[in-house]
Amino acid sequence: MIEIQGLRKSFGAVQAVRDVSFNAADGTVVGLLGPNGAGKTTTLRMLSGLMRPDAGTIRVDHIDVVADPIGAQTLMGLLPDSRGLYPRLTPVEHIEYFGRLHGIDGPALAERTQALLARLGLNEVANRRVSGFSQGERTKVALARALVHQPRNVILDEPTNGLDVMSTRAMRELIRGLRRDGCCVLFSSHIMQEVSALCDRIVVIAHGTVVADGTPEELRSQTGHDNLEDAFVALSGLEAEEIS
Amino acid sequence: MKTLRPLWIVLTKELRDGLRDRRSIFSVLIGAALTPLLFGGMFTVVAGRNRDSEELKLPVAGVEYAPAFVDWLKQQSGVEIVAAPADAEQAVRDRKEDVVLIIEKDFAKNMARGIPAPVQLISDGTRDTARPKVARAKALLTDYSSQLSALRLIARGVAPSIAVPVRVQEVEVSSAQERLASLLNILPLMLVLAALTGGMQIAIDTTAGERERGSLEPLLLSPVPRATLAAGKWLAASAFGCGSVVFSMLLTVNVLRRVPWHDLGIRFRVSDGDLMSLLALVLPLALFLSAVVMFASTFARSFKEAQGYIGLLVLLPMLPGLLSTLYPLSNRPWLAPVPIFGQYALAADVLRGKPPAVAFYVLAGVSVLACALILVALTSRLLKREKIIFGR
Repeated sequence: MIEIQGLRKSFGAVQAVRDVSFNAADGTVVGLLGPNGAGKTTTLRMLSGLMRPDAGTIRVDHIDVVADPIGAQTLMGLLPDSRGLYPRLTPVEHIEYFGRLHGIDGPALAERTQALLARLGLNEVANRRVSGFSQGERTKVALARALVHQPRNVILDEPTNGLDVMSTRAMRELIRGLRRDGCCVLFSSHIMQEVSALCDRIVVIAHGTVVADGTPEELRSQTGHDNLEDAFVALSGLEAEEIS
Repeated sequence: MKTLRPLWIVLTKELRDGLRDRRSIFSVLIGAALTPLLFGGMFTVVAGRNRDSEELKLPVAGVEYAPAFVDWLKQQSGVEIVAAPADAEQAVRDRKEDVVLIIEKDFAKNMARGIPAPVQLISDGTRDTARPKVARAKALLTDYSSQLSALRLIARGVAPSIAVPVRVQEVEVSSAQERLASLLNILPLMLVLAALTGGMQIAIDTTAGERERGSLEPLLLSPVPRATLAAGKWLAASAFGCGSVVFSMLLTVNVLRRVPWHDLGIRFRVSDGDLMSLLALVLPLALFLSAVVMFASTFARSFKEAQGYIGLLVLLPMLPGLLSTLYPLSNRPWLAPVPIFGQYALAADVLRGKPPAVAFYVLAGVSVLACALILVALTSRLLKREKIIFGR
């Protein structure tokens, strides 16, 4: 469960996030939707505990992220914007390294590693160094290391970025699986279809502010557009920019 | 225990990663091999030169004008008289000969009349390698000249000592060991370079490299304190630095055993104890240098950028080392707590055969480790900066 209240962050004169508040409950998938530069990544970075907000509170399962970032990080699995790997290590070694850093070891870690490899379809390349991996394989490894400690809250920053059709499908399947397990899944995207296909709730961000928050149906009726994409464009104020 | 476990996890991961990196293995080998190769080469060349100057093969032209003089030359130990080339000056200029003696045709006539007999000694003053031979030849000529002048004075009833107003007696105060130590001064510098280059690659790779790959942000998302991450990376880099120093030392020992010391005119053995003392000095320094490189590289967004910073940083341990070969830092144990300078100062004493007290080793080691820990703490603080976590 993620609760974000009155979040604000500026870099010098640029106000990246002005006012962002929303909740994401367990067992639901929440999409953070917004055009490029709307403040999605900045919001997720503050949620991850690596960036300090200028104002506002963030709670993950009732733990204050700003006060206890390490405590909160044990409850979260994050696929950040930068998902670099160690080119000389194998997927298994990646998963085991991060598992151990989370305090998992021994048979439990071996079991967890095998489960992740199977779930993400990495069995074939499990013991190959990642230096020659495709974008899709890289994302899967990055995802596996983020999920090794079985977090109840999963946060994914543009998870399908750069993935082909099959990998995108696999990612969607994974997100649905996490929801079935009762996880709270929050992911950001600028792609309409993805959000509408997956999300129980959509939070639309534009210019660092939440402009809409509701189920896909609510958004359609709120804007009077049957098409979700038209609704998105109307909500984020892109129409006005297009004309001007 | 609770904090040691993650430290061990980070350390072993970085070591495994580093051992698979060809560049880091290569830099360890280069750093280690540099010392013994340079060292062995240098001593062998010096020894060879000393041998050459004692055994003087002197080309002489005009032997027929001064048979008595040439006979005297032949009687001197290690001197062999050979025929001179036709154009002596050209031969010296072309480096075919180091030195050529030309006896002029008036030699005998002038000698008989008691006026200076002309000879020419042809040499090239710009050639360092020829210098010992030229000096030997000059000394021979001076000897012959002064022997004759003494005889002439005696023949005229004058005591030869009247013609020697000042008698110079050279007193060499340094022991043979100390004279060699001036050459050995370069050994600490080489070991320090091994310490630096050995740990450098991995120190950069785990900081600037981690930023460049975009793996820093995911790593910082794991619930491990920054200080633990920084310390684990530092220890991994230090292990490589120390490995490089030890490897270099082993090679150096083998090379030193093969140097022809008798040709250097010195009865000398660098004892295993001396080498252990040097290790005790340089190993803690390896930990410090790794910390310096790691701290500087954390500012860099990429490997290349870090190498730019480190290029300047290399001067840091180099300058005192070079300085110490010019102005020996020996006999200054109070320098011990100053990183780098202290190590050079104590190493100089070890090589002079006058090892400092154990307390100075401890002082130097503790001081340098304290500085390293401060740098690691600063690095872990850098890892909290948003500009460093996200700035790519």
